[in-house]
Amino acid sequence: MFRIIKKSLRIGVVTGRYQKAEQPELPVTPEAQDKARPFKRSLAIREVDTGSCNACEMEMSALLNPVYDADRFGIHIAASPRHADALVVTGPVTVNLERALKDVHKQTPDPKIVIALGDCAINCGIFKGSYAVTGPVERHIPVDVRIPGCPPRPAEILAVLSELQGKNKTA
Amino acid sequence: MSEAMFCDDLLTAAFPGILKHDPICAKSSHFTVPKDRLPAISHYIHTQPSLRGRLTLLWACDDRPVRDSYGLYYLFTLEASHHWVVLSTELAGHDRLFPSITPHIHAAQWYEREIRDMFGLIPQGHPDLRRLVRHEHWPKGTHPLQKDFSWNHVLERQQGEYRFHHIDGEGVFEVPVGPIHAGIIEAGHFRFSVAGEPIMQLELRHFWKHRGVEKLFEQLTLTDAVLLAERVSGDTTVGHSLAYCHAVETLLDLQVPRRAQYLRSLFLELERLANHLGDIGAMCNDTAYALAHAHCSRMKERIMQLNDRLVGSRFLRGAMQVGGVSWDIDRSQLKLLVEELDGIQRDFSEVGAIIFANASLTDRLESTGVLTERIAWDHAVTGVVGRASGMDQDVRRDRPFAAYDELPVNVALYRYGDVRARLRVRNDEIHEAIRLIREIHARIPDGPIASEPHSLPKPGAWTLAAVEGWRGEIVYMVMAGKDGRIHRCKVRDPSFVNWPAIQWAVLGNIIPDFPLINKSFNLSYAGNDL
Ligand code: SF4
Repeated sequence: MFRIIKKSLRIGVVTGRYQKAEQPELPVTPEAQDKARPFKRSLAIREVDTGSCNACEMEMSALLNPVYDADRFGIHIAASPRHADALVVTGPVTVNLERALKDVHKQTPDPKIVIALGDCAINCGIFKGSYAVTGPVERHIPVDVRIPGCPPRPAEILAVLSELQGKNKTA
Repeated sequence: MSEAMFCDDLLTAAFPGILKHDPICAKSSHFTVPKDRLPAISHYIHTQPSLRGRLTLLWACDDRPVRDSYGLYYLFTLEASHHWVVLSTELAGHDRLFPSITPHIHAAQWYEREIRDMFGLIPQGHPDLRRLVRHEHWPKGTHPLQKDFSWNHVLERQQGEYRFHHIDGEGVFEVPVGPIHAGIIEAGHFRFSVAGEPIMQLELRHFWKHRGVEKLFEQLTLTDAVLLAERVSGDTTVGHSLAYCHAVETLLDLQVPRRAQYLRSLFLELERLANHLGDIGAMCNDTAYALAHAHCSRMKERIMQLNDRLVGSRFLRGAMQVGGVSWDIDRSQLKLLVEELDGIQRDFSEVGAIIFANASLTDRLESTGVLTERIAWDHAVTGVVGRASGMDQDVRRDRPFAAYDELPVNVALYRYGDVRARLRVRNDEIHEAIRLIREIHARIPDGPIASEPHSLPKPGAWTLAAVEGWRGEIVYMVMAGKDGRIHRCKVRDPSFVNWPAIQWAVLGNIIPDFPLINKSFNLSYAGNDL
């Protein structure tokens, strides 16, 4: 018990110990911000993998670690699309997952935001043209926000999500 | 050399008809065998007590534009000497049938189904001929790795349904999970049959993420394809690109400078460190022990940021190139790195002490998800999972690559095969990785970090390379095409062999323990589905 408390005290608070992201490459459009308005300061995200190389996923899960702690901005991961406000889609949409993506999109209640995370989701990246890929994401469902990078750093993802929530206006 | 002679003599004595070729790389032998003798010879290599060959890779190759035939290749690693034996055979003309070795060698089952899907060659006598990679909506007769199938072909959709294995009986019901999971997990489908709580059967349905990686390789040149190798499985960026580079360097007969070899080992150990830290945290998290998870993911993040500072990518992307590495790490950086890792090691030892002193955690981990040594051997399981089940193998020690010939590795080995053993292996390997990085710091020589390729390989030349990534043994087969392009590249992530074994490890456990067992294997879906 003492060991645990001592350890926690010694480590202290690590949240925020990362290099802040620069201005995002693709700014969030006003339309997307309008769409996000009803969600106010909370955003329930459903992560959908449509054939990524899993690095994009790892950066999404890094958002939840104590250093980035996306929860403090009201961003959390929903276990089901029915509980989600936003879908974060990674990967170039493979033929085998095309159906699943459309289903998830259908199951997510309106209003909803679709975020394409990573170069693959935006333009199929290195997998472009392959027989097994039918993407990009916007070919199948409307995309509101794009976060480029291969993979984008967690700080960059966080910056875009904050901008989506309209929190960067003061900065 | 004597090992090679011994095994070659044994084989040629037992099977006089087989033809010996020049070895394709160091510590290997290559034989051509008649197709109908394949099952007997492979069975002999697999079971003969002085050989005990583990099926490491099985691949096919379409040689048709040049020669009217398909080639089939079987790679075995001998248990004691870690010598490689390759058997190859040819299907000439319109012959599309080959004898299945699955009835004798269980580990061949997915490989043979994959070959059937990708090439349209039929393994005769295979007990399970359902589709594997091609899901049911793919039209009949599409075999993407045939040379006359264009890489950007647009597939049509047809109707079809996958037949799962059912268990009938009173009170037995099925629980389907996936392909889209709760949480941030990749896509895959699991079908459980349960009666009450315990799992009676688990069936995997994977390959949702099939992106056509092997076909994409064939569109690239030998030097450019490193980018694609990095993206086969993102969390194993270094492991895959390193295995690919090794294979290509053997083909090009390229000497990699010593300094580059050391830096390669450094990157590989950093990747191992980050992923093992994350895995230990995630396993604790699946037992609802959030504190350990927070500590571990904090430390993992430190390594990722360190990577970012070193080479400008959190996943060490762009660090590897054919002929060496593309980033040098100078002395002062290395010193800082080692100091930081000393700190992390102290930090991790304290967290480890907290984790292993926790009785309720131990209770959850012990005797959960046991994979016995026998089943591990039958599936030819590799890597962390294998070493937790008593399979004493580590490519870094057995077939040294990069700088490991000068960096002896202490291999972690446990026999219980439960979740706790897999946690222990990772724990030991974290300390070992930090020790190795210290060694690298002490021994790294000065010099250039890359050498330029000076020639092109002969079309049709091929070779193999294996690397111990953080998950296990990654194997690449690269066959050169015309003008420095790739004719065929076979990729095998450790996940491909370890996935089927999980179906056995969960039996008798309860469904709520499945996430924990799955996490303790932590296999890649992307690397498996390709
Ligand atoms: S964008 Fe890059 S990191 Fe993300 S899934 Fe695609 S290849 Fe992987």
